Amino acid sequence: MRLADVFRFCMSALVGARARTWLMLLAMAIGVSSVLLLTAVGEGTRRYVNDQFMNLGSHLLIVMPGKLETTGGQPPILSATQVDLTIDDAVALSQSQSIRRVAPMVLGNAPVSYGQRERAVNVIGSTAGLYGVRKLKMLSGRFLPSGDPTRGAAIAVIGDTLKTELFGSARALGERIRIDGQKFQVIGVLKEASGAGVGMDLRDSAVIPVATAQSLFDSPSLFRVMVEADGHSAISRAENAIIDILRARHNGEEDVTVITQDAMLETFNTILGSLTLAVGGIAAISLAVAGVLIMNVMLVAVSQRKTEIGLLKAIGAPGTQILRLFLAEACMLALLGAIVGLILGFAGVWGLAAALPDFPIGVPFWAPIAATATSLGTGLIFCFIPARRAAKLDPVLALAGH
Amino acid sequence: MIQFSSVSREFEVGEERVHALRNIDLEIKDGEYAAIMGPSGSGKSTMLNILGLLDRADQGQYFLNGEDTTLLTEKKRASLRRRQFGFVFQSFHLVPRMTAAQNVELPLNLDGVPPRERRQRVRDALDAMGLSDRAHHRPSQLSGGQRQRVAIARATITQPGVLLADEPTGNLDTKSGQEVIQALEVLNQRGITLIIITHNPAIGDRARRRIHMQDGSIEDDTDSN
Repeated sequence: MRLADVFRFCMSALVGARARTWLMLLAMAIGVSSVLLLTAVGEGTRRYVNDQFMNLGSHLLIVMPGKLETTGGQPPILSATQVDLTIDDAVALSQSQSIRRVAPMVLGNAPVSYGQRERAVNVIGSTAGLYGVRKLKMLSGRFLPSGDPTRGAAIAVIGDTLKTELFGSARALGERIRIDGQKFQVIGVLKEASGAGVGMDLRDSAVIPVATAQSLFDSPSLFRVMVEADGHSAISRAENAIIDILRARHNGEEDVTVITQDAMLETFNTILGSLTLAVGGIAAISLAVAGVLIMNVMLVAVSQRKTEIGLLKAIGAPGTQILRLFLAEACMLALLGAIVGLILGFAGVWGLAAALPDFPIGVPFWAPIAATATSLGTGLIFCFIPARRAAKLDPVLALAGH
Repeated sequence: MIQFSSVSREFEVGEERVHALRNIDLEIKDGEYAAIMGPSGSGKSTMLNILGLLDRADQGQYFLNGEDTTLLTEKKRASLRRRQFGFVFQSFHLVPRMTAAQNVELPLNLDGVPPRERRQRVRDALDAMGLSDRAHHRPSQLSGGQRQRVAIARATITQPGVLLADEPTGNLDTKSGQEVIQALEVLNQRGITLIIITHNPAIGDRARRRIHMQDGSIEDDTDSN
């Protein structure tokens, strides 16, 4: 039998039993569209986290004092002893060709007050480098001035939430606030959502010069140093440079931990990628349910079309041909269902994207392919039993309708 | 050439064994016009099913054009059915969702005949049955006689050697029945072997050879020639 004739024969059978066909198309379409929708939500989550990381600043490396041993081995008896990471260390890092910006950081929590209003917030000690590293933007005023980072100054840049809490709508620039009892002059207010992302909430923080913060919190060591590599390709060179420079400065001891943003991102991508796969797999179960429905309906169809099958046998169709005809019918049904499902799914994704403009929802490229393949596979597998039953019908009994 | 050599067929109906055919010896030559007659339960339908390779004999041998069909695989038997036999049934067995032309075309589809040749042959077959103007009607839009003539066109489209008709007039009024029988007889005159099963003597007596069956045996076999 020619392929075009098989197609026409199956099409006439599908059109001939309209209610049955619609029912099975619907089942397939729901399965395919839910695979698409759920994987799109999963992919959207992955992109969302990605974007958040990108907001941290691109090509970022984080240097922390102390060597984190994650390789096992001997019990870490001595690993708790830390060698201080100093401002001079941070300054030394900026000498490397592979490093564009360096932002040493000291972190503490302290009451910040203006007049009668007081609020306990994160106080970050850093330098002008933080502005570029964290891609900050100013609402008004300016950021910490560049200059010798070892020299302190009684100036502060505050986040927009903190500004509203302390000053309301009044002007904050030039005003004096107290941080842990010491007076600081507000020189700038950060723009809303600036530097938002995973990690600290800069909106409800105050940024002061790093040396001032060290004396304020009585902290000889930096909390960490944020380093921006000179481009994406320079990340691994920057990592090596950091380790080399600090080892030379710390008497040959490798006593810092360097985390690259790529490594973190990769971990999250792996986790969220497998989450998307798992969610898609759960949706694929609905396709299997559709398959059971299709098997049921096809079994009914085979008994309804007994005389037709008997006739086909009488006019010389062998059992294998009848098997192929029924499987072809299942294939076409599955493909049509997949097409309807893809249309519904993409419409749903489009609808979600319109409803949630901030959520970067998107269908991963493999989802439509996997959904279509799964629906084809289910159609074929679950139609095999009815098709084989049709192929094995005794022609005499089938013609009599038994 | 059809040859039965002591063919038997038994069925189990509940606890009982029914001998549908008992040691039948029979020879039907090419181009013959034979009627197999007898009351219901005489075994004439079983005979037709085995003749048309839809059923197998339990014992004995069936030679078709000298070839022993009893040992053939199902695939080979299907291929012989496609090329050697045309079936006409009492209840027509047209596919209801297909037009007359599509029903007639079906055996050619199964055989993989090219579309251009197919169209011509379908047109000729419908012409021969006087149904050219009914080609695109569905079975439900045709009268009983027209439906049976569509079925005859389908049975003959592959130019088989043998036409097997099982009560072809059973569901028709006398006038339509006459037309159908005449159509079958015209085909026989052009050389096809025609075997009709009927319990209607008015139909059976028109055949040159009349085979009477009773309880699975041939009771009487008369040839007018």
